Amino acid sequence: MKKIIATLVIALCVVGSAMAQDELSFERKQAIDSLALEKVRDLSKYIKIVGSKETPFSEANRVIDRAEELFMSDAEIGVSSLSSNKVTYYRVRKYFEHLMRLNYDRVEIEWYNIEYVSDLQRQPDGTYVGVITIFQTFRGYDAEGNLAYKDTTKKDITVYVKRKETQIGGRTIGFWDVLLGDMRVKETSNR
Amino acid sequence: MKSKITTVMMVLLAAFITLGGTTSCKSKKQLAKEAAEAEYKSRVAEAVKDLTAILDDETLWSLEEKEARVQTIKDWNLQNAEVDDLLLQVEKKLARERAQKEEELRVLEDRERLSAADIVLGRNFNTIANASSVSQANRAISETLAMFESPNVPVLIIIKQNAGFNDYDRPTTIENYLNYLKDQKKATEKIHEIKYNANGKINELELIKK
Repeated sequence: MKKIIATLVIALCVVGSAMAQDELSFERKQAIDSLALEKVRDLSKYIKIVGSKETPFSEANRVIDRAEELFMSDAEIGVSSLSSNKVTYYRVRKYFEHLMRLNYDRVEIEWYNIEYVSDLQRQPDGTYVGVITIFQTFRGYDAEGNLAYKDTTKKDITVYVKRKETQIGGRTIGFWDVLLGDMRVKETSNR
Repeated sequence: MKSKITTVMMVLLAAFITLGGTTSCKSKKQLAKEAAEAEYKSRVAEAVKDLTAILDDETLWSLEEKEARVQTIKDWNLQNAEVDDLLLQVEKKLARERAQKEEELRVLEDRERLSAADIVLGRNFNTIANASSVSQANRAISETLAMFESPNVPVLIIIKQNAGFNDYDRPTTIENYLNYLKDQKKATEKIHEIKYNANGKINELELIKK
């Protein structure tokens, strides 16, 4: 009898634990929502640093490494222009290298209205997937300091959040791994 | 006749003095013995009273005062079974109290050290995040890295504390974290826990979102 009760208690604990993992409380869900938004904001800062002509080459390369870590390995970033309807997609490193080589004397990149258009939803494999939209204003200036080009692009970024575990100092640490997927151009205007 | 009387008187006087002296000497020894016995009894009683009071926590003495009292009683070397038994119990009790006090002291020192490191690290994080130039930030990063065992010391960031467990962001290293502060120009985490190696260098850092 005691064995049966012990088995039931263990089984309940295991099921309870599994349910705790499956059904996140509102507060925990909010925490990972914020974490994913923060990663996108971090990316905006990295784009700004790499795009800036004042950033030393070594710093820019270091930042590109960090920016790459934010993305899934096969992710692509779309680039558009007012002069063409075509959207070119680059792998993350190629995108940043392209950004470093832009033919302007000064570049300003601002991201704003960063928000979810599709909330993080749990997929059957346990990954949470959502879409965050951003607006990017790009300004390129010539040697005389005149505005040579300006556009505003709306982009959608797919976000993947997955629970993972790692060993640190003999402890198992459960963490939320946020990875950005493709960054798709939705519209480009001269605003 | 007069001479005979004088002689008899002298002999009687000598006998009286001799007898009287002997009696007085015996009385002094007895008194000394009685006094010693009384003192012994008094010390035993005092020792039993003090040791019992220490055992029952009925004194206002500090641990050091209690230890000094026990040492005094041991120095009396009373060789009394009851006192010896009480001494054994009290010494065990005081050893426990000493160990507890030292543990409390160690915790306090750790807390003070953590608090000091907390202040320095927190200040350095802000210096890096608010640096006016890359070179200024890099100098602060080098200074901060000197507090760590290596640039690869793991940094854990708690994003949410739950009942009994924490949700973390992806673990990073201290070097990457400090560069992150420089790049993002914000220090939005505070120190939650610091672990040190035997050389007093930080070998694990846990932060928590403000």
